[in-house]
Amino acid sequence: MFDPLPTQSWNYETAAHLLNRAAFGGTPEEVESVRKQGLAATLRHLLDETVEAANIPAPAWAHPENIKEQRMEIRAAKEEGGEAIDKMKEFRRRQGENLLDLRRWWLERLATTPAPLLEKMTLFWHGHFATSAEKVQNGYWMWLQNDTLRRHALGNFVTLTKAMSRDPAMMIYLDLQQSRREHPNENWARELMELFTVGIGNYSENDIRESARAFTGYRVDMTNQQFRFAPRQRDDGAKNFMGKTGDLSGDEIIDILARQPACSKFIARKLWRFFADDEPSPQIVDALAARIRGHNYEIRPVLREMFSSAQFYARGALRSQIKSPVQYLVQTTKLLATDLPAPAVAQNAMRQMGQILFAPPNVKGWDGGKSWVSTSTLLFRYNFANYLINGDAMRPAGDRGKQKGADLGFRRGARMAEIPPRAPLDVARIIPAELRDKPNDLVAHLCQRLFGTPGPEKERTAFIGFLEKRRPDTSDQAMRELLHLMMSTPQFQLT
Amino acid sequence: METTLHTRRRFLRTSALGAAAAWTLPVFLEKTFFALDAMAADAPTQAITGKDATILVVLQMAGGNDGLNMVVPYADDIYYRSRPKLALPADKILKLDSYAGLNGKLTGLKSLFDEGHLAVVQGVGYPNPNRSHFRSTEIWQTASDAERNESQGWLGKYFDSCCAGADPTVGVAIGEQMPQAFVAKTPTGVTFSKPEQFRWQPSEKMAGAMSEEEAFFRQLNGIDDQAAAPADGGSINTIAGRNRADQSAFDFLQRTALDAQLSSDKILAIARKYKSTVPYPPGPLAASLSMIARMIAGGLPTRVYYASQGGFDTHAGQLNAHDRLMSGFNDALSAFVADLKQQGNFDRVVLMTFSEFGRRVAENANGGTDHGAAAPMFVLGGRVRPGLFGKHPSLSDLDHGDLKFNTDFRGVYGTILEKWLKAPSEMVLGRKFAGLPLIG
Repeated sequence: MFDPLPTQSWNYETAAHLLNRAAFGGTPEEVESVRKQGLAATLRHLLDETVEAANIPAPAWAHPENIKEQRMEIRAAKEEGGEAIDKMKEFRRRQGENLLDLRRWWLERLATTPAPLLEKMTLFWHGHFATSAEKVQNGYWMWLQNDTLRRHALGNFVTLTKAMSRDPAMMIYLDLQQSRREHPNENWARELMELFTVGIGNYSENDIRESARAFTGYRVDMTNQQFRFAPRQRDDGAKNFMGKTGDLSGDEIIDILARQPACSKFIARKLWRFFADDEPSPQIVDALAARIRGHNYEIRPVLREMFSSAQFYARGALRSQIKSPVQYLVQTTKLLATDLPAPAVAQNAMRQMGQILFAPPNVKGWDGGKSWVSTSTLLFRYNFANYLINGDAMRPAGDRGKQKGADLGFRRGARMAEIPPRAPLDVARIIPAELRDKPNDLVAHLCQRLFGTPGPEKERTAFIGFLEKRRPDTSDQAMRELLHLMMSTPQFQLT
Repeated sequence: METTLHTRRRFLRTSALGAAAAWTLPVFLEKTFFALDAMAADAPTQAITGKDATILVVLQMAGGNDGLNMVVPYADDIYYRSRPKLALPADKILKLDSYAGLNGKLTGLKSLFDEGHLAVVQGVGYPNPNRSHFRSTEIWQTASDAERNESQGWLGKYFDSCCAGADPTVGVAIGEQMPQAFVAKTPTGVTFSKPEQFRWQPSEKMAGAMSEEEAFFRQLNGIDDQAAAPADGGSINTIAGRNRADQSAFDFLQRTALDAQLSSDKILAIARKYKSTVPYPPGPLAASLSMIARMIAGGLPTRVYYASQGGFDTHAGQLNAHDRLMSGFNDALSAFVADLKQQGNFDRVVLMTFSEFGRRVAENANGGTDHGAAAPMFVLGGRVRPGLFGKHPSLSDLDHGDLKFNTDFRGVYGTILEKWLKAPSEMVLGRKFAGLPLIG
């Protein structure tokens, strides 16, 4: 039931919609260039030209270590007393630093990648195969999982699921690492069905028990932090799973799950919610699920059909999605033509907005949609916009600990004092000099840039009113205040 | 499709924008607004007449509090044998009965116990205890079985099922991040460490006067001050289901922006107006409790407050560290109770403590303790039934070196929901748990 988008419907608005959803938005110039390029060519670029994205180097510290040896050293030191605490503290401090750097690395990548859809799908899978560093407690493992998600992001879902069953971070997060022949741990088996493939109501408790046996023997080798198969830990007896009986392997369990119609529907619903519309109709879910089955779970052609469909560009869908915190931050830096904030500031801001990369709240991932917004997170977004625009220039020199600009409520401490101050936004980058004293034109220009639309009349009138009131002041500061006002609106939270 | 109408807005009238231009109001907001307005108008009246609803304060002791050194089995030899370095001498214990007593630092809590305002629930936990901070905290916050993953918090489910349409300040968490316990289908509750952060901050702060920018921000998020109310003005009931599925994302955002503005104004006004005359000790927990006391004094229509104290993960050098934690806890709570008593609000408040797990019975080689299982909870307040509840867990019948629980924590939650918040506990907890006679 997917109808291709009629050629005449490809215009500035639909081009902007594609960039908002399949990427992280674009400036008016970028939207215009995509419009000129056409839908098919743009999708080729987004879906096929993803190789160069791999050129962004991994963080220097992201390599395997001999965890076993480190643990033994800590244990030995423990027995001698005293020093062990320092060693453990040092170990934890390093993990904390790596994690902060990992978040910097991914945010930079999200903001600068030439292949934004690849990153967006990686983010989608991160929320789907949600795994938290809070439990995994290791930067390398989190990086490795991210790398695996990216390598399969536009590839095959079944292959990706199998890769996740062997992913050390996932194995630790869902206790597969602890599963033994005599005591199969059911955590991974349960979530594999409930959250990763078929969804609740489409399996039995017996299916969980039997499939947990099939995944025994999966181990993480602590000497090199990689997956290893331990045949002696494997339960090689017959398993009875969803009507099939035999000595089923973990991969065979995943193959059986993928053949269930519920699986394609589950993925279809999630994809549509993430990219198109928070509340997909059953018809849309069925149509997309049929395409997923038709393409044998190959994600690239499914996305191509989805982004080419008239349904994806339905009127009600345009500018109706509440930006996730990642989208908010990345899109905002693009629209303001400014840099990401310092890593520690970004990490704290993401925490307060409710989306900490590498630390989803639980194995269900982020709910998305309206759950991003509460009175607290909305006010925080408004005040964070203040920080992004005005920086902390108002922080008096010599007293770096005290902020006079937006008070974002971050923990004070030695680490905060090391954060470089942020300069106020260079407004000349986005506001042409000749528009400064033309309130109507300036507001129209900025509405187009920030909202992708002229915006509701009420707001437009207010912005113009603000400029009129400020006249003849057309200083950078007045411009920044206007920008802050424009970003302190419901409209700016939508994409 | 979008009928607009004029209406009035009480708080705008009192703001600096007396002569605001005429803004139109989306129809969905109209009833809502009148209800909120009516509620805001009612709140101070309720506070003064003392007819306000009951209040729950949840206090999280994060990191895994050593229950055995908080409620000490001073009469048990096994306690002293298991903890040669860490066991607290019996003569320092504030005895509650012939077997157990409070850590010597908890003098204020002992007085409360003697006055009849403290219930100590012993041996609280859940089946198949998890020893990961992350996971066990999640279990306590979502009130789920250890085998199930749930995203919504138990207080979030309470807000969803029992407080639909309520003011967003129905839940207030003091801290940097909303506790998972507050996570709800309809995002409810506000989180802040300082009230100054829970407000829209203009680019430039002007001493005394409101900046142009702020005036326009208020105008943008405000509602017209011109015309009269429609006849069917609406009541609180009409705003039930504030996050209806058919509400568009834009309407929802507008609604939240208005909520944020209203509650931010209210919280800031209270924070400015109400100062406590009771002295609080230094430290973050005392600061949080003092803020909560001010919000209660100011009549914020909040049912649940949330505060936390960190640092309980005492793997090494526990003796001094835990003593300091107990002192901080005791002094902050004592000040809070004194403050509430002075306000005349002690009878309206129940405070409940919890930690994600207790610690292992035996001490480790570093003069600390490792992650354990069952531990006690405190429930205190003017109308709490005092005493020791539940059995103290046996120190010899252990599960992998850990205490076995005999009271499910959801029994405590359920009791508080039913008896204190007057909420049907099954709707929140999914099923019925055996209650305790803690409140009555």
